[in-house]
Amino acid sequence: MESNKEQPETQKSWYDKWYLVLLTIPVIILILSLIYLGTFYSKHGDFINKDVSLSGGTTITLNLNNIDSDKLESSLKPKFPDITIRKLTGMETGEQLALIVESSASPDELKPAIEEFLNLKLTDENSSVEFTGSTLSSSFYKQLITALIIAFILMSIVIFILFRTFIPSIAVIFAAFSDIIMALAFVNILGLKISAAGIAAFLMLVGYSVDTDILLTTRALKKAEGKLNERIYSAFKTGILMTITALAAILPAFFIIKGLPDSFKQIFLILAVGLSADIINTWLTNAGIIKIYCDKKGIK
Amino acid sequence: MKLTFRIWLLIAVFILALLAISPSFESGVLIKNVETNSTAYEAGLRQGMIIKSVNDRRIKNLEDYNQVITNILPSEEKIKILINTKSSQAVLFTDKLPEIIVANTPRTKLKTGLDLQGGSRALVKPEKQLSSSEMNDLIAVTSNRINVFGISDVTIRSVSDLSGNTYMLVEVAGATPKDLEDLVSKQGKFEAKISNETVFVGGDKDITSVCRNDASCAGIESCDTVSGEDICRFRFVIYLSEEAAKKHAKITSTLGVNYTEYGKYLDKKLDLYLDDQLVDSLLISEGLKGQETTVIQIQGSGSGPDRNSAIENTEESMNKLQTILITGSLPFKLNIEKLDAISPILGKEFTKNIMLLALVAFVAVSVVLFIKYRKIKITLSVILTMFSEAFITLGIAALINWNLDAPSIAGIIAGMGTGVNDQIVIIDESVSNLQESIKERIKRALFIIIGAFFTIIAAMLPLFWAGAGLLRGFALTTIIGVSVGILITRPAFADIIKKIEG
Repeated sequence: MESNKEQPETQKSWYDKWYLVLLTIPVIILILSLIYLGTFYSKHGDFINKDVSLSGGTTITLNLNNIDSDKLESSLKPKFPDITIRKLTGMETGEQLALIVESSASPDELKPAIEEFLNLKLTDENSSVEFTGSTLSSSFYKQLITALIIAFILMSIVIFILFRTFIPSIAVIFAAFSDIIMALAFVNILGLKISAAGIAAFLMLVGYSVDTDILLTTRALKKAEGKLNERIYSAFKTGILMTITALAAILPAFFIIKGLPDSFKQIFLILAVGLSADIINTWLTNAGIIKIYCDKKGIK
Repeated sequence: MKLTFRIWLLIAVFILALLAISPSFESGVLIKNVETNSTAYEAGLRQGMIIKSVNDRRIKNLEDYNQVITNILPSEEKIKILINTKSSQAVLFTDKLPEIIVANTPRTKLKTGLDLQGGSRALVKPEKQLSSSEMNDLIAVTSNRINVFGISDVTIRSVSDLSGNTYMLVEVAGATPKDLEDLVSKQGKFEAKISNETVFVGGDKDITSVCRNDASCAGIESCDTVSGEDICRFRFVIYLSEEAAKKHAKITSTLGVNYTEYGKYLDKKLDLYLDDQLVDSLLISEGLKGQETTVIQIQGSGSGPDRNSAIENTEESMNKLQTILITGSLPFKLNIEKLDAISPILGKEFTKNIMLLALVAFVAVSVVLFIKYRKIKITLSVILTMFSEAFITLGIAALINWNLDAPSIAGIIAGMGTGVNDQIVIIDESVSNLQESIKERIKRALFIIIGAFFTIIAAMLPLFWAGAGLLRGFALTTIIGVSVGILITRPAFADIIKKIEG
């Protein structure tokens, strides 16, 4: 942000000189993301790592703080090869609050195995059990992906109605598309297993991330005062503040507050990653395209 | 300072939201359920009453209630218990614990979802596609079965998804009964047959009444230890309709008689089938041959690793069988597609942390805005607007009885995020570019805000139907939040900023 606080005059010449170079940065990241997702798809047969709510299986949350998760894992591994165990830590102490055990097995198989290891009966006091059948989960997944596509189409229609010009509208839609692709690639690199709530977060990203693009396009095309570069810069100042406040509200969920529900954390993580990607896609991609468009149309 | 109409509107809606949430600081415990025809019921205790004292000892919360009640009950002989509720007085004369389920009085009318308060949820799919009247039948029978079994606080509704599948969603709040699976997944088709001919089936057509909670005609008979396992047997009496009794007479009249060392029995047994599986075979004594008997004794068993758990399991099997005999079978075969049982303890921790997160988010946003604008009045008005927006959204959630789960709350926080975005647009448009008329600037701000509003609505709308509506809360709170923003808080905020900026 610091470099942008120069005088408008020098900044103008700076942006005129570099905007095409800046435009290539997001394009390169987008291409890398697409290549990554392509290889990911060829390896896993899908674009995301699905958690048990989308692939079918059981999640057992043990509200016990004295279990050795490594020992539990090695004891369950022979019988349930796909088992994963995560820790949930409490916020005051950072102590282990609960263990989350996931497997594609049914609760009837998984529960007794855990009970045997712990030598303890699992009750509703000490554990939560969530099970999703495989037919339901695959239908959930298909529907949520359909919902994501419908959301994207509806958003695109709204953008076209708003701006009624082809290039600026496409620029906004392209920026939103890039946000989703980059966010998806990044959560895959993190190894996150995406749940139904996670896909809902992608839907929200579709609607949320275009705020700054609408701001940029409106200021660039509809404002009478100032030169184009100044208008883009004024939109940038407003828009970056919007994104920073949104991130300020979201980021404490990872760094300060521990012990939040998984669904909650995942929604916030995807929004945070997507909004960060949106900084590049709005202020480099979309702004670059708008600048080219305005130059061609003679909008100063 | 004179307040404009829009600011007044915000204040009015805020007050309405406060009324909808209606925080209460009342002490006492709330009766959530009273067993019908129990001592407690006859004494006049009803669902929804708030118990203030027991035997003149003040009850402030659930802990007090449990302490006082377990001190005096169960007792050797019947004693008098005086229960004062908020508006009435009940006198119980009993030796058992009162047949009521109580909970702390709710602090607000807000309801939290399963993932935050604990409970169980089953999403079941009938084997075939049901019409809406068939689905209503299924829901009626299921809800009857769950009530007869003795689970309170249940909601059952039909949900459908994008692909046209229809499901029945059963949710039980609070503690998570382990029997939910059996109660909703088993069709519970009960048949009593003699040599493959049906004598009677479960439900009120053949069975006029089932003895329960009466030691003279229902209970555990005996317990034994067999190779390290404890097994108990139960028995209870049922009463057949005249028609079923006639059938019984007709079928038994053709049977022969066996003479055994224990007595004389008919040469065929009464076989009890549950969902086409043989659960028990009962000997029929010779005296019943060709008789139109209406009284039949049903037996069964349960087991466990020790005596106590064997008794517990046996009582449970008995209760389940009684439930099925009373309510009859579900009209359709069902498959459990999703079954969640969430521990209430973890949910409490989650709720606490989410509230803390909301607080931290408020502070973080305030700090960012203050650093940017360096004006306490602007920062404060943004924060107040943001808070009222979230509060009004909660008020609407309380009004429509929405259960707020974790995704719903994430939606509220995200809605607050878009709200702040819009306010930043308004501030920046109104303080910068003073060459343009205020009308132009506000018009442009409005264009951006309305654009952002419709894109978020467009993005969230498909979630109403996808995935059996289990993520509807997220979409709903987000849409309510941004709508409250655009209709109520944003216009008021624009006026406040105009006043601040002079």
